Amino acid sequence: MHAIEVDHLTKHFGSLVALNEISFTVSQGETFGFLGPNGAGKTTTIRLLTGISPPTSGSATIFGHDITTETTAARKTMGIVHETSNIYDDLSAWQNLMFSAELYTIGKKEREQRGKELLELFGLYERRVDKVHGFSKGMKRRLTLAMGLINNPKLLFLDEPTSGLDVQSNLIIRDVIRDLTSRGVTVFLTTHNIEEANLTCDRVAIINKGRIAAIDSPERLKSTIQSVQSVEVAFSTVSAGREEDLRRIHGVSEVRKEGDKFRLYTRDPSVVIAAVMEYAQENNTRILSFNTVGPSLEDVFIKLTGLKIHTKGVSTVD
Amino acid sequence: MTDLADGHEQLYAELNAAWAIAKKDIAIYYFKPNIIVSGALFPLFMFLAFAAGNSAGPLVMIPGLISITILFSASSIEPVSIPIERRMKTFDRLVSAPISLHAVVLGESLSGFLYSIGIAFVPLIAGQLIFGTPITSVAPLIMGILLTSFCFATMGTLFASYPTESPGDIMSMLNLVRLPLIFISGVFIPIASLPSIGQIVSYVSPLTYGNDLIQSAYHGHTHFNPVVDIAMLCIFILIFQVCANQLYKRWNE
Repeated sequence: MHAIEVDHLTKHFGSLVALNEISFTVSQGETFGFLGPNGAGKTTTIRLLTGISPPTSGSATIFGHDITTETTAARKTMGIVHETSNIYDDLSAWQNLMFSAELYTIGKKEREQRGKELLELFGLYERRVDKVHGFSKGMKRRLTLAMGLINNPKLLFLDEPTSGLDVQSNLIIRDVIRDLTSRGVTVFLTTHNIEEANLTCDRVAIINKGRIAAIDSPERLKSTIQSVQSVEVAFSTVSAGREEDLRRIHGVSEVRKEGDKFRLYTRDPSVVIAAVMEYAQENNTRILSFNTVGPSLEDVFIKLTGLKIHTKGVSTVD
Repeated sequence: MTDLADGHEQLYAELNAAWAIAKKDIAIYYFKPNIIVSGALFPLFMFLAFAAGNSAGPLVMIPGLISITILFSASSIEPVSIPIERRMKTFDRLVSAPISLHAVVLGESLSGFLYSIGIAFVPLIAGQLIFGTPITSVAPLIMGILLTSFCFATMGTLFASYPTESPGDIMSMLNLVRLPLIFISGVFIPIASLPSIGQIVSYVSPLTYGNDLIQSAYHGHTHFNPVVDIAMLCIFILIFQVCANQLYKRWNE
């Protein structure tokens, strides 16, 4: 039995098609990422899979329970961490956790024991009696995740779990996700953070404009666009017109400045490497580092979602 | 047998969750300034405005004050708490829990119900201590306070189903209904003294039946049969609960 089975799921909001006949399955114990730009349909998918919103057509089952007709049974198996840290600012961390546990009818002794374990796990036990309104964004996010785990779920929905968080909270949350998957918990996470999906997920679905563009493991997705390779180079000196100079090198299709490095996209790295060496000599600068890089998940994402890179960022191609 | 056991288990889960929601509301919202103003102070000022120049004695005014206190206090919690929870996205937490929408509606209504009972005791005790207004029958008073409180708490939850994140939007709509109810429900003007059209309209006001029960606790007589009062309040509760459930379901789509 699959943890999640989605069959031609569609959602309309008036004339807007938010999800268009998406189908996929998620195996038990798998970490499955839903990757897409803002407005692609990620949160709508979570709202449908958790029974908050009904589908216009199609079906979805959670551990065999139809989410529309057996909503309560399906929800008992899952924990949900919404995109926003939806916790009660006027309650303490402990009260928030206990309230969540009561919604899942967890007995007093069990919820208190579980609450203590979770607050310790997320580094919040010392602040348990403090009202949440004094918490940082990262602490609130950690508490939201703790609330999603209070019922010991077999399946955890995470909507943008680490978006905009500090490093400490990010690391704690990623550690917890790794620990959950090692214990056989299925994780369904939505993210627009490609690196997060690359590091965390067994498989990734790339969704754009309500349709799934591709589903596979991050490495397999990358291998589908092997033709897009790049050379990453760092120079010892800074020069104002360098990006433009590098763009003029024969065989370079695109140049992106990434910190103190330049990334040159090409179909033939060997030609570009020779040209860059020549450029360095002519301009009296040393090459500090030189790497050839295969396609990243970001490249796959850009290719499949039709996003176009500009020198000053990324914009959607309509 | 297993189905029956599952049914009992789910019923327990629903009631347990409803009580948890009510406790959460009590902890967060009871002492919010806008709740105190709309639920406790507003009915008092309304009463003073009517009482000034009114020749009716405390025997009429005190039960009237209890009735309008219940009307305003019971229906004041959810129109504030639910829009705030929509804005903070905490409402998603309730509607994604393994419980039905009925349990969410019941839990929200319970908090208004309990708040109203607490506030209703203020004019009740003040009437005893200041004016010595005698209570001739306790049973209709208890039934009146309980049923009317629950009825208007459910009405507050129904109005709060309107999908806005601003409590002011719901309060405005609610006052369009609550204020006329005072005039057509026999609170200060007996139903028998209303023009015939007013008497007909009074039949569709739940406050008419609640006030009738509460007034009877002081006067010893009712305009309707007490059984009719109780039955009508139960029917209004049922209608509000079902409508609220349907509207929350619809707006969630």
